[in-house]
Amino acid sequence: MTSTRRLQKELMDIQTNGTPVGIKLLSADDFQTWYFSIEVLGETVFAGEQFALKFRFDQQYPISSPAVQFVVDDKYKAPEHPHVYSNGHICASILGSEWSPVLTVIAVCVTLQSMLASCKKKERPVGNDRYVLHAPDNPKKTRFEYHDDTV
Amino acid sequence: MKIMVREWHAIAQWRWDTGAADVDDDGEGDVCGICRVPYEGCCPSCKMPGDDCPLIWGECSHVFHMHCLLQWIGTAASKQQCPMDRRPWVTAERKVNATTGR
Repeated sequence: MTSTRRLQKELMDIQTNGTPVGIKLLSADDFQTWYFSIEVLGETVFAGEQFALKFRFDQQYPISSPAVQFVVDDKYKAPEHPHVYSNGHICASILGSEWSPVLTVIAVCVTLQSMLASCKKKERPVGNDRYVLHAPDNPKKTRFEYHDDTV
Repeated sequence: MKIMVREWHAIAQWRWDTGAADVDDDGEGDVCGICRVPYEGCCPSCKMPGDDCPLIWGECSHVFHMHCLLQWIGTAASKQQCPMDRRPWVTAERKVNATTGR
């Protein structure tokens, strides 16, 4: 299974070299689902908040992108960000059309961390409620429009 | 069956000529950006490194295991772009012995 070998390498790298500041591995019990906690450092609208990211990998990873979303449960909420729906789904090109197999789990975490860091105003995407009502379980099944003007 | 290797003598070693200035001496050499296995190892679908699992060079100068790159290029998501720089992938003619001439 190609995904397992690649993920083993990424996990070993995390265990030996650690994770970037603000990002922590919560669990990686198998090679299908991993969880990370993510905090935005410095003076941002998310100061003091902690979020959790869930990664789901299929057997084609890293040729196919991981399914990444924020965890929404009793403990965690999705950050209030114009690209993050209240069910935790994220509209980010790097997770869709701009995915590249040279990216890693940590690279995705860092990108999402900086996406949060650059946020100036806490708000949900336009059409959040409508999206959440009909959203598939797996965000990869959603065809996001990366901020197009058309409605 | 269990085998114990008592001693061994290396008689040769090989390395792909990636054209990169020398391999940094972290002992591991360079890895394929897609599978993260050293160039001298083989891609996840192969068992034997070497000619059966060769490298492929792009005109953009990026190098991958051929099988890894072809798997990526074969997907619609790749848009036929190099995974490193997203430029259209063009396989480079291998400069085998540039000095040989005609």
